[in-house]
Amino acid sequence: MLDPYILQQLAIGLSLGMIYALMAIGFTLIFGVLNVVNFAHGEIYTIGAFAGLMVISVFGPPLLVVLFIALATGALAGFGLERLAFRPFRRFSDEASLKSRAMREATLMSSLAMSIIAREAMEMIFGSQFQSVDLAYLINKPIGIGPITIVNGDLIIFGITVVMLGGLQWLLKKSPVGLSIRAVSNNALGAKYCGINTDRTIIITFVIGSAMGALAGILVGLYYGAIFPSMGFTPGIKAFVAMVMGGLSSIPGAVISAIILGLSESLSTSFMSSVWSDMVAYAFLLLTLIFFPQGLFGARRERV
Amino acid sequence: MTAILELDGLTRAFGGLKAVDNVTTRVDHGELFGLIGPNGAGKTTLFNLISGFTPPSSGEVRFKGEKITGLSAHQIAHKGMSRTFQNLRVFPNMTVFDNISVGALGMLGVGPFSSLFGRSSHAKEISERSWEMLEKVGLADHADDLAANLSYGKRKYLEIARALAMKPDLLILDEPAAGMNDSETTELARFITGLNKEGLTIMLVEHDMGLVMGICERLVVLASGRKIADDVPAVVRQDPGVLAAYLGGDEE
Repeated sequence: MLDPYILQQLAIGLSLGMIYALMAIGFTLIFGVLNVVNFAHGEIYTIGAFAGLMVISVFGPPLLVVLFIALATGALAGFGLERLAFRPFRRFSDEASLKSRAMREATLMSSLAMSIIAREAMEMIFGSQFQSVDLAYLINKPIGIGPITIVNGDLIIFGITVVMLGGLQWLLKKSPVGLSIRAVSNNALGAKYCGINTDRTIIITFVIGSAMGALAGILVGLYYGAIFPSMGFTPGIKAFVAMVMGGLSSIPGAVISAIILGLSESLSTSFMSSVWSDMVAYAFLLLTLIFFPQGLFGARRERV
Repeated sequence: MTAILELDGLTRAFGGLKAVDNVTTRVDHGELFGLIGPNGAGKTTLFNLISGFTPPSSGEVRFKGEKITGLSAHQIAHKGMSRTFQNLRVFPNMTVFDNISVGALGMLGVGPFSSLFGRSSHAKEISERSWEMLEKVGLADHADDLAANLSYGKRKYLEIARALAMKPDLLILDEPAAGMNDSETTELARFITGLNKEGLTIMLVEHDMGLVMGICERLVVLASGRKIADDVPAVVRQDPGVLAAYLGGDEE
């Protein structure tokens, strides 16, 4: 019989991993279609949390509405982000410029710039301190299951993530949108000549990825009851690590890696200070880069 | 005969080099038309000008009587011009069936937004069209295989099937016989002529004379970006300028 403490840590770790997974999907999808890393993804997460917070303090609607608003705000933010930080660098559609390093580095910097601007703007508006959330909305009501106690947030996060992942899988594999996203990921030029509007497909990808990132933000905000402008930084790094571990453009790989990451971080606190648990992610990143440069699941690289 | 594709004084310069220099010609409905030339003659550039990949420096392209210069590649594809690539551009990590479905999706021209909330009849149409094309090129047994796992020859047919799934009015094949042996080339020639007999207008861009001479009704020969011949194969074959271009002189 496992120690109840370990079981409890596993439950927490699973929630953490699910959150990283939601974030990592955004990174992975965008890397798939554009081969670039979107450094503003962490801020999308924060924006989702703040959007939820504002709706709660102004209207106080049911929880489901709050989540939906966060989702929609994330989608909108993703749309704007693509327009401002990515589209302007895609003026040339020939292959050499699409794949050029200059292009990748330019969007890397522009997305980083957007992330700094967004974070500073939120600090100016809301201040850099923790914003407290109306207690009624917090998803940390304890639930006892045998010897362990989890909170209702663990169940909510698990449920929502499973639904989102399932939905995404359906979207990618069964719907025409998914077909065009996969086609653009595989070969953007080939897709274009098949009559696929690649620019619109890229926007859709940003919208989907960002909506999921923003949802992760509000869920964490309500789970811990703390929302602040720089809250997106750490999960952003963790999700990035999960993406690299999963092989950069594999969604199943990123999701599994994110869960492994969440579980390991949570378990690590049983034998070292929680201050150090962030090191787990960095250690994983290093090990992956040294021993599995193709990612843990790199052998069969199914993109998206 | 009415023209389906008209090129009018098409020129593309890269710096001081005119890769395509004042090319004027036309392709008629139902024709099996060949564009040939030695390496570096400007075939690929001309092809890219036609399919909207590169904008011309001057001149224009008309497709079905409508000016298409300045349109983007996917818009031209919607208008009914589809192409294959010399170095294949299949979607390696998608199944054969999904590869062809992308072509069918492109034909329907449904944008991602409308398809997300659109009618389910689209999905049915895409799937029916894809199966039809799979059977046409004889890849139905491979429907669920990843495209990356197909042999080179089969991937060529996959790309043609994907292009056909778009129900094109004009199909442009870029060096389809490249990398094929003699019997495969003969098989391909039969397939292409078959498509043409069904009424499809085809433009064949080739480096190798053999295939083109055998099946095309009319040929345009490019050398150093200029059109040096435009006639039936029998005449082109005897043309001293063409022979010179192929046997040396202009070749890079």
